[in-house]
Amino acid sequence: MTTLDLSASPAPPHALLRRIVLKAEPYLYCFPALFLIAAIMLVPLIVGLSYAFRDLVLLDPASGDYIGLTHFGEIWADANFWNALQNTAIWTIVCVALQFGLGLTLALLLNQPFRGRGLIQALVFLPWAVPSFLSGLNWAWMFNPVIGPLPYVFQALGLMQTPDNILSSPDHAIWGPIIAMVWWGIPFFAITLLAALQSIPKDIYEAAAIDGAGAVERFRSITLPFLAPTMAITVLLRTVWIANSADLIVVMTHGGPADSTQILASYIFTQAFQRLDFGYASALAAVMLVLLLAYAMALVAVRQTLLARH
Amino acid sequence: MASIDIAAVRKSYGATPVLRGIDLTIANGEFVVLVGPSGCGKSTLLRLIAGLELIDKGEIRIGGRRVNDLPPKDRDLAMVFQSYALYPHMSVRDNMSYALRLRKTPKEKIAAALKGASAKLGLDALIERKPRALSGGQRQRVAMGRAIVRDPQAFLFDEPLSNLDARLREQMRFEIKKLHRDLGATSVYVTHDQIEAMTMADRIVAMNEGVIQQVGSPSDLYDNPANLFVAGFIGSPAMNFLQARTVAGPGGMSVTVGQAEIAKVPPATPTGPVVLGLRPERITLTAPGQGAQAAVDLVEPTGLGMIVHLDLDGQQLKTFTTERLPLKAGERVGLMVPPGSFCLFAPGTGERLAG
Ligand SMILES: Nc1ncnc2c1ncn2[C@@H]1O[C@H](COP(=O)(O)OP(=O)(O)O)[C@@H](O)[C@H]1O
Ligand SMILES: [Mg+2]
Repeated sequence: MTTLDLSASPAPPHALLRRIVLKAEPYLYCFPALFLIAAIMLVPLIVGLSYAFRDLVLLDPASGDYIGLTHFGEIWADANFWNALQNTAIWTIVCVALQFGLGLTLALLLNQPFRGRGLIQALVFLPWAVPSFLSGLNWAWMFNPVIGPLPYVFQALGLMQTPDNILSSPDHAIWGPIIAMVWWGIPFFAITLLAALQSIPKDIYEAAAIDGAGAVERFRSITLPFLAPTMAITVLLRTVWIANSADLIVVMTHGGPADSTQILASYIFTQAFQRLDFGYASALAAVMLVLLLAYAMALVAVRQTLLARH
Repeated sequence: MASIDIAAVRKSYGATPVLRGIDLTIANGEFVVLVGPSGCGKSTLLRLIAGLELIDKGEIRIGGRRVNDLPPKDRDLAMVFQSYALYPHMSVRDNMSYALRLRKTPKEKIAAALKGASAKLGLDALIERKPRALSGGQRQRVAMGRAIVRDPQAFLFDEPLSNLDARLREQMRFEIKKLHRDLGATSVYVTHDQIEAMTMADRIVAMNEGVIQQVGSPSDLYDNPANLFVAGFIGSPAMNFLQARTVAGPGGMSVTVGQAEIAKVPPATPTGPVVLGLRPERITLTAPGQGAQAAVDLVEPTGLGMIVHLDLDGQQLKTFTTERLPLKAGERVGLMVPPGSFCLFAPGTGERLAG
């Protein structure tokens, strides 16, 4: 038998190169993906942010100068911004709360065995498949007393004195897009929560029933803990998503009447694509980015402390 | 502690009958094992007792009280599931005390019950753990603990040992039986494993296709099976079934396989074809020339003894002996069946024939 004495063999001349290549290997694999991410996300983001510090109005050839923090000062003094921020909070909280509550209810109902459940499940998830632009138009028509039935329904229910278009009432117009958004977003919660519900083993419920737990207690001590991780992640995702989504508002009210339905996202959209003031819109977007990042980090921190306690 | 009376209980899922009229009385403090092949309706019967399923027809009484329409929580039973069904988000302590907390039992009482149960089951060191941090055997103990802290009217077990390895299963068999001896609680235990049934039961209920085949003590079922199903299901290695005939000869009635006379039968036995049931360990092997002649097909040593596969007039049969015989395949042997150590069954119905 022969043994190889590795330490004695002379180092091959290309050993150093080999080591470098080996070290670089993982980065080489990552490079295409990182390059794409940088090219289509990071660079535009940085360029976009840089606009915030420039006077950039598309139709004004004289604009384009570096103006420092001027835009942020304007934002601080902009009553429309504060109004939009407040609307964003209402819009996001109400939409998420209603979508979540109704989505959970729907998921619980669909988790019960009944005839035709498969068909109903499929139907319930349809709104998700409708483009939001289309559903915005649809809802706008339905709120319109000339062609839509809803004003008459509201009147019959005593919610309205006369069959008016809710979208033209400065006090209540925000409810139009909220209703459309809730209708459109329920399936998301219903699908994810139903999937989580169906992964709960049935015999745990049976054990609890035998142990003496009623329906409410079973929900509290079994369903909720099982759903908690899914609930946390979906609510987090949807909050950011809804706060960011201007499409229904732009389609249904254009932020009006009198800016009463303007949220930050739609305000940014208006500034950028109607006033063509990309500089100011970018500054607004930067503020929104910071707010959402703060929200996400706060949630992560809460999650960490909760996990640490367990 | 209570008795359980089951009268004419039927249950179907859709058009498929699963239980076809079950009558059974379980005495206070008795350990009854429901045994049968997979799909015969054992779990369904247990779930009807627990109230997890509704009865179609018939009546169940627990401690004399009709429970047909009572929800599970009002029946005061405890159940141990095959999957253990522990609450994954609760510690062992919370799992075990859950039912008591729901019943608003005073804290001191809960603590005392927990202490007793965890000491009995050796769970003291695990009491703060979550189920996912436990081994299969430990989870099984927690499931047992959750049942015994409640001091229920009766215990229901649905194949509680099926997910354990063979050694652990043997140990838990022993421990469950000891627990039953200590607690004296009425227990209904479901298993498909006839060894569990034989070793643990005060009484065995053998089921097949939704019908009770026989109820009796383990030795009853072993020695006096009511039909071919019970005879074949109970015992390992399983009973041999041979196509045989009862014939009247000069020396009286006897049962024969092919030309070979196996044993004498009472004179009242009708003549004709029968199924002869022979327990492998009750067959005696003799030198060739004595008794019925057979050829050795295969020898399987088991350590405890050996299983000898024989060919008797073209029919296969097994014998079991604790002697270590120097037998080889192809060798000829004689076999004898002592009087009273065989069963005869009607070939059509499979029912036991007297004699
Ligand atoms: N919820 C159910 N729906 C339809 N059929 C069922 C249901 N539960 C059990 N069955 C059927 O009933 C029969 C008996 O089941 P079970 O009592 O679980 O048998 P086992 O004796 O193996 O415990 C099986 O054929 C099974 O397929
Ligand atoms: Mg079963």
